[in-house]
Amino acid sequence: MAGSGNAHLRPEALLSARDLVVEFPAAGGRTVHAVSGVSLDLEEGETLGLVGESGCGKSTTGRAILQLPRPTSGTVQLDGQELTELDEDAIRDVRPRLQMIYQDPISSLNPRRRVRDIIAEPLFIALENVSRRTAMAVWQDRIGELLQNMLRRASGVMRIVGLLASVAFVLWILSETVEERAAEPWLGWTQVPAAVIGFPSLALLLLAAAIALLLGLTWVLLAVMLPFSLMSRQFGEVSSAVGLAGVVVTTGASAFLLWRTWSSFGGWAQWLNSGGLSLLTAVLAVWLVLSMVKPERAGASGVATTLSAMVVLQVFYVAGLDGGIKLAVLVASAVIDTLLFRWVLRCYRANRDAERERAEPRVREVLEYVGINPDDALDRRPWEFSGGQAQRLSIARALVSVPQVIICDEPVSSLDVSVQAQILNLLEDLKNLMGLTLVFIAHDLAVVKNVSDRVAVMYLGKLCEVSEPDAMFAQPAHPYTELLLAAIPQPDPEAELGTERIGGELPSPMDPPSGCRFRTRCPLAAERCAAEEPEMREIAPGRFVACHTPLIGEPAPARVDLATNAEGAS
Amino acid sequence: MSETAAQGSPWAGDPPLLEVGDLRTTFHTPVGPLAAVDGVEWSLRPGARLGVVGESGSGKSVMSRSIMRLLPKSRVTSTGTVNFDGVDMMSLGRRELLEMWGPQLSMVFQDPLGSLNPVMKIGKQVGEGLRVHRDLSARAARSAALELLEEVGIPEPHRRIDEYPHQLSGGMRQRIVIAIALACSPRLLIADEPTTALDVTVQAQILDLLEAERAERDMSLVLITHDLGIVAGRTDEIIVMYAGRIVERASTRTLFRDMKMPYTEALFRSIPKVTDDSHARLEIIGGQPPQMTDLPSGCKFAPRCKYAQDLCYAEEPALIEVPTAVPARSSITDSIDDVESDPAAGVHLYRCFYPVGTPEAAEAFERNIASGRVSEAGVVINPT
Ligand SMILES: Nc1ncnc2c1ncn2[C@@H]1O[C@H](COP(=O)(O)OP(=O)(O)OP(=O)(O)O)[C@@H](O)[C@H]1O
Ligand SMILES: Nc1ncnc2c1ncn2[C@@H]1O[C@H](COP(=O)(O)OP(=O)(O)O)[C@@H](O)[C@H]1O
Ligand code: SF4
Ligand code: SF4
Ligand SMILES: [Mg+2]
Ligand SMILES: [Mg+2]
Repeated sequence: MAGSGNAHLRPEALLSARDLVVEFPAAGGRTVHAVSGVSLDLEEGETLGLVGESGCGKSTTGRAILQLPRPTSGTVQLDGQELTELDEDAIRDVRPRLQMIYQDPISSLNPRRRVRDIIAEPLFIALENVSRRTAMAVWQDRIGELLQNMLRRASGVMRIVGLLASVAFVLWILSETVEERAAEPWLGWTQVPAAVIGFPSLALLLLAAAIALLLGLTWVLLAVMLPFSLMSRQFGEVSSAVGLAGVVVTTGASAFLLWRTWSSFGGWAQWLNSGGLSLLTAVLAVWLVLSMVKPERAGASGVATTLSAMVVLQVFYVAGLDGGIKLAVLVASAVIDTLLFRWVLRCYRANRDAERERAEPRVREVLEYVGINPDDALDRRPWEFSGGQAQRLSIARALVSVPQVIICDEPVSSLDVSVQAQILNLLEDLKNLMGLTLVFIAHDLAVVKNVSDRVAVMYLGKLCEVSEPDAMFAQPAHPYTELLLAAIPQPDPEAELGTERIGGELPSPMDPPSGCRFRTRCPLAAERCAAEEPEMREIAPGRFVACHTPLIGEPAPARVDLATNAEGAS
Repeated sequence: MSETAAQGSPWAGDPPLLEVGDLRTTFHTPVGPLAAVDGVEWSLRPGARLGVVGESGSGKSVMSRSIMRLLPKSRVTSTGTVNFDGVDMMSLGRRELLEMWGPQLSMVFQDPLGSLNPVMKIGKQVGEGLRVHRDLSARAARSAALELLEEVGIPEPHRRIDEYPHQLSGGMRQRIVIAIALACSPRLLIADEPTTALDVTVQAQILDLLEAERAERDMSLVLITHDLGIVAGRTDEIIVMYAGRIVERASTRTLFRDMKMPYTEALFRSIPKVTDDSHARLEIIGGQPPQMTDLPSGCKFAPRCKYAQDLCYAEEPALIEVPTAVPARSSITDSIDDVESDPAAGVHLYRCFYPVGTPEAAEAFERNIASGRVSEAGVVINPT
């Protein structure tokens, strides 16, 4: 396999990943071969630099080591423990020993939380189900933020539509009640407005709710696609209560409309009507009670989502009831819900305060390590910090659980040169101070050279070269490494502008070239490169390269024997 | 400062294409006025390449937006002169500006995805400017767009022209943005961090592309970046900005060979270089960029400067010209070529009381180490 082979692995490694393969399903039944047989290892206290063009699979490799998601195949051993075979619970226990720092400091930190909670998170994450958290919490956070944002940014027209939808919704429920119970005198006072507005409001509701639903969906889609950073600044000011009210009203109105339409077809709707709803509500209530017992498991947004879902279900339920009772239940449930909301919030706050108190000394300690004054920072939110400070916060967060290995995914790529230098020096100091072992992912070779003890060059899901940095930069062995080096801008006007360029774009990882994956852009490509994949081999002490005709050392021995063997076997 | 800027430039004979005079842009924020650009002056001759360097927040983008007249409408004031080939940009109305943007000046923004319309096909976005400015039909605009895509190196332009921005890689998106900016053959292109979001290989491709297009169209180019490495080989002259001011201005070769401003030196030294050994300690600029709403009196760089003396805290140095063109030995590259042989050596301005490489600066540094203000490595430990 091109760029595969394990000649560069060492026996005494702290972390050792072998033959990692990560594939993603793509549209049309195709497969994205993001990582195709990458082997890496790290000795204790070592920094491994991982370089390559964007899209070559660096982050995917890093995440596969963390089992986020699990690699399609391959093995990862941390301190002798095989991670790929562990179940979710066991992985959760490993997680504090294996941390990650992300590329975009500000958007990788939750904009709604305070620094003290963000930093403390890894200390508590072992208590939680990580996989559920990553999938669900991200969703809940995004939707919560989106709704707050939506309310804030909603133009006049949108607000009116939203208002109309909710007013019409309430009127409709009233008018139905009134129509059914027209004879009952105690409801008479609602009859007049209901008769006037009741019927027209139905038409209005249909239109308004449809529009609200459409807009809501568009917004949700947009929010899921937009990164935090684009929106983060807008949040802080809007209270969550307003946001939550927005969720309840809009979801309720839209869902109710859908259900009314649906109910004319019978089926599901009938089941929901006849007790199914109460069943669902009961299930949710049980979940709610459970999360009340252990609120740290659910988190604020989890509880909030459940509550809003419950309210929506109540609305269904109430709509299915008869006249007078309907109104009574509606009022009662509104009162109960309000009380419930407040109680949940209190429980959650109490728990959070206890949690904070326990974590604070440790959080202060790591903040000091990374050069941030805890007194200033603890109660601020991530977007109030500059890019460099935010990156220090992510480093602090990674350090708080005293990990054995930290995977740094482009920790300085989005930073200014002066801040970049501060962060690189900081990582170097922390490494010496705490004996950290680091995987350092970056596309800037000068940065990688500065921090690494060993550098691995990656191309389209495979490794090209693994080597000690000074030797690699003095004399690259792989043609790709050489071209990468030529692309580095030199801060010297006298220096030749490298004219050799890697032309074109990275080939699609859905359809990687045969043989050596670099052959479509390699100046030295020969026939053999298309037919046969080069294998990682040692061409000089401590220098490993996967190329048939490397720039230094002997060309790879022909593998005729293997070819004939293969033919013989088939 | 303006007198010196005008004198002694070998380009004085060329009428400048763009002249920026005493440009000031102030945002009115809740915590007080924020002078993002504070009295900036420079000029650019036709076909020249100017680099603008500075840390994040130094006012580079605001300066270019002020020149383009692309600032937000409210709570900002922008004064000064921006003279583009005899046209006073500051006095133009919306309609006249629309006529300038495209055929006269054009801009490539920091974030390629943000400057493309996500729901419009690429071909249409590229052709739009042509339809407006050249009155082309939809068909003609499409074929012109196709040509442009080919020119900026988009593979398979026939297929790409009907795709949407999210279907392209970051590098290709930036090529599209460049194609849009070039569509009407502008005479001046301002590229604001065109490669900051991209990786090194794509960065080199994009910078090569910009240079090729510039040479072919004899366009002027303003290249804005925070990375001195990027402008080193690709510009004729460099402006270094700090806290909304120009702190040094020189031809590229002079700047790298004989930088005078401590800030430029610090920026230069903080770049990791491939030629250094691995694990080489990077020289950092201590502290933070200044709080723009609450600038120190005196020299704005003083709290982070390893040479700063009492004078620097008390008084702000003016932008002055290097007194003589005596070839100074560069403290950075140690090259001893004489400065006068540099054909592009224009004015060299800086804003400092203790310029780099002078005995006064060396003494100031020694004093600071002795007083414990600065570490041996030149990092300010105790700014006051
Ligand atoms: N709309 C605005 N309102 C208030 N202040 C602003 C606004 N836009 C920019 N600023 C401020 O003006 C200063 C200069 O900003 P500018 O965006 O020009 O920096 P820059 O040098 O381009 O930095 P970067 O490298 O981050 O792009 C900063 O202090 C910034 O906070
Ligand atoms: N969740 C995913 N689904 C499909 N393809 C993916 C996914 N994540 C990454 N990829 C693809 O895998 C390749 C490697 O991605 P990544 O590791 O993020 O690159 P890098 O970090 O080097 O920039 C890219 O082609 C990318 O598009
Ligand atoms: S010479 Fe052949 S094997 Fe080596 S990198 Fe080029 S294409 Fe790959
Ligand atoms: S030496 Fe003084 S004047 Fe010069 S940059 Fe430093 S602080 Fe400013
Ligand atoms: Mg990545
Ligand atoms: Mg900018």
